[in-house]
Amino acid sequence: MDSDYSNPPDGLTPAIDIRSLRVDYGDFCAVDDLTLSVPAGEVFGLVGPNGAGKTSTFRVLTTLLEPTYGEVILDGVDVIEDIESARRILGYMPDLAPLPTDLKVWEFLDFHAAAYGLGSRRQRRERVAECLEEVALSAQWHSWCKELSRGQMQRVVLAKTLLHRPRVLILDEPASGLDPLARRDLRNALRKLATAGATVFVSSHILSELAEMCSSLCVMNRGQLLAAGTVDQVRGQLGRTERTLTATLLGQPAEAAAWLRAQAAVHDLRVGGSQVVFGFTGSDEAQAELVAGLIHLGLRLRAFEEKRSSFEDILVEVAEANRRP
Amino acid sequence: MNLTHPNIVLARHAAWKIWSNPIFLRYCQSRLRMRGVGVAMLLTVLIAGFIVAMASSIGISGRMSPSDAARSAIIPLLIMQAVILFVLGTAQVAGSMTAERDEGVIDYQRLIPMSPLAKVFGYLFGLPVREYAMLLATLPFTGWALWRGQVAMGVWLPLYAVVWSSTLLYHFTGLLTGTVARNRRWAFLASIGLVFCLYTIIPQMAKFGLVFFKYLTIMPVFEESLSGLLPEAAGAVVKAGQRLLPSVKFFNLDFSEAVFSVFSQGGLILTFVIMLCRKWRRTESHLLGKPWAAGFFVWIQVLLLGNALPLIEPGTLFPSRGFYRMVQVLPDWAPSPMEAVTMSGMYGLVTLVLIFVLGGIITPTADHQLRGWRRARKQGAVALPRLADAATAYGWVLVMALVGAAGWFLFTRALVESRWFPGHVVPLRTLGFFAAVMLAGGLGFQTLLEWKGGRVVGLTAIFVGVVPLMVGAVCSAVSERLLATALWLIGMSPVSLPFYAAGSLLSIAELPVVAARAVPRAFYFWLLVGVLVMLWLSVRLWAARQAMARRVLAAPAAGDSQSPV
Repeated sequence: MDSDYSNPPDGLTPAIDIRSLRVDYGDFCAVDDLTLSVPAGEVFGLVGPNGAGKTSTFRVLTTLLEPTYGEVILDGVDVIEDIESARRILGYMPDLAPLPTDLKVWEFLDFHAAAYGLGSRRQRRERVAECLEEVALSAQWHSWCKELSRGQMQRVVLAKTLLHRPRVLILDEPASGLDPLARRDLRNALRKLATAGATVFVSSHILSELAEMCSSLCVMNRGQLLAAGTVDQVRGQLGRTERTLTATLLGQPAEAAAWLRAQAAVHDLRVGGSQVVFGFTGSDEAQAELVAGLIHLGLRLRAFEEKRSSFEDILVEVAEANRRP
Repeated sequence: MNLTHPNIVLARHAAWKIWSNPIFLRYCQSRLRMRGVGVAMLLTVLIAGFIVAMASSIGISGRMSPSDAARSAIIPLLIMQAVILFVLGTAQVAGSMTAERDEGVIDYQRLIPMSPLAKVFGYLFGLPVREYAMLLATLPFTGWALWRGQVAMGVWLPLYAVVWSSTLLYHFTGLLTGTVARNRRWAFLASIGLVFCLYTIIPQMAKFGLVFFKYLTIMPVFEESLSGLLPEAAGAVVKAGQRLLPSVKFFNLDFSEAVFSVFSQGGLILTFVIMLCRKWRRTESHLLGKPWAAGFFVWIQVLLLGNALPLIEPGTLFPSRGFYRMVQVLPDWAPSPMEAVTMSGMYGLVTLVLIFVLGGIITPTADHQLRGWRRARKQGAVALPRLADAATAYGWVLVMALVGAAGWFLFTRALVESRWFPGHVVPLRTLGFFAAVMLAGGLGFQTLLEWKGGRVVGLTAIFVGVVPLMVGAVCSAVSERLLATALWLIGMSPVSLPFYAAGSLLSIAELPVVAARAVPRAFYFWLLVGVLVMLWLSVRLWAARQAMARRVLAAPAAGDSQSPV
């Protein structure tokens, strides 16, 4: 792994430090010895299919679930030993975040501002207004929570999460229910948070979006961490340099096909007219040598096209592979 | 926008500052909206006004003195206040708590950086805040009736002190049920059922010598205050009757009804607070820690004995004494021997049920045990910490069973060797039998629960605890010839064992001929079976725990060797 997310860079205290975390529900192991470090100021994504252990991990991080064992340090605070201090520095937005039906938007936010001890009534009001503005819901100040749309509810809960200026934000599927415009705003807000020094740990099923939103991410499946790093690093760690190559030749496609079939990283080769289309799992170096080899054979290569699998395809493939017994 | 603030200092909330408790204020905001509270207050004022007006009018037209006329409104007002606080308030607390869990918003409150105690107080006083407002609306009427009726402060102050402590106790019960129950419908039913059971059915045990339980209600203090609250003529009659009532005695100490009620309820309230704080801190925690559960059990035993023993010699403990008191006091009254036998059996049964309840609370589920062993493996330990939730509750239940048997024996010996039954003694070997009953029932239940889980215990309770009683009852009703069979069947149920023990072991027992032969035989047989089953279950539990420990400790800890990705 190019970037080692199990150990923080020298001299830097990670904002989220998870060591040998395990969560069991009876005989079912939801999180299996997860070790992960997230540097401060990152928007860090957590990707995985249903049952991967994302929500269990988040519930431990947010003090809502006691793990079987393991150590979780948030910004220097031990989450398992010092619950109250941990709760002061983290903000959590659960999946399909609910809202109380008997409060108005401002009352809900003001209650949380008071609970976090955010100063006088006037200061609280100002902070509530600021957060509502940030999620573009200032107009809903006096609305009843129960009258909001799903997306608006998500944004109110996001505003609640931001109220006490948490140093670590944990957002479980924050984009679900948001329209494209709101998603873009959310993306911008998260980036702004990270720029201001907060660490954002976010999960999503919309993988492409997570890739856009996050500076780094990790992939979990069946309770285990499969890969962590930047999108390209994760792609590399998952061992999927899968790409489809198309060589267009002037004549001799059969000779080219015969030579290519003999190469180790080539598979699923088919010939159509002057084109040879094949799958290739080798590295970039190996691909360059492959092209050189074709030219060296004296074949007249007119064009060479590469199509890489999308990140989403890779993750689906990983999930499928792990689903098999 | 200032999104992060490195040196942000967030204020802390002291649990006792209820007026600034955000959870309390949040419910003040939502439950005291004019639209909702206005109607409730209007109705309350109308009903309270109607009560006062009607009582005064009837009193005046009946040529009562103005003070008597005013006094006649006090009891109806008190009943109204009790309905508001005990019924509406408790239902509101339990229902709202479950609704919060059902809707999922409770997780937000869990994450608020407030101490568990501050959260518990916020909910306790916040959820029923509308009911408190309704109570306030009745207070001017009550105040007028007390002032106009010239009721002494020494009468109404203790009464309202106990109304207050009872309110807290009931609301804590609702809060606990709402926190623990898994769904809204069950929470409502369970809270109503628990309140009914704890404060209506269990206090009836006082009639069988378990006097302590009546102090969980307002009734003792209400009865004590009654003469001062009623019109003078009626009050005089009540006062004459009260002279015959037993005073609150606790071993050699004397307490007023109000003080002892508050003391008794305080212990239970404290236990509820502990339970709720544990749940607020960690949802997976047991309601009580093992030492606290054992201590609570001992405390109940001390209270039961402390209240009951001083009342044996004067005879006020016996149910027939209470009955005769209502009709007329016979100078030659004496308790019947079977009355004492039943009281002994009842003490044993209540003790056994307490062991079931507390043992059930502290017994770890298979999930808890597995997690505990895995944690131990990670920490390089080969045993679980004795006080951890995951550790076995076997030893603690064993202690409770032995303490319970000792309490039962002391109670029974004091009854049988009292002046009412001269010449009768309870030999020390009875203690051994009582201990066997408690161990067979209590430890049998605990070992089965820890080994096989709640579902198997539930089925066992139905087929071993309830069905034999039902079949036995039907058999006895069908024909007298089946009476012996019925007694054998009934004896199979662990809940009948305490009564069978009292009937078989006490020399004062005067059973009918068929029962005199069948009951002791059934008792000794089923006790032997019970003890053998308990021993077998103990061995199986020990083996199961060892197997689990071996399996977990020996298993390769994937993560221990796995290098992180």
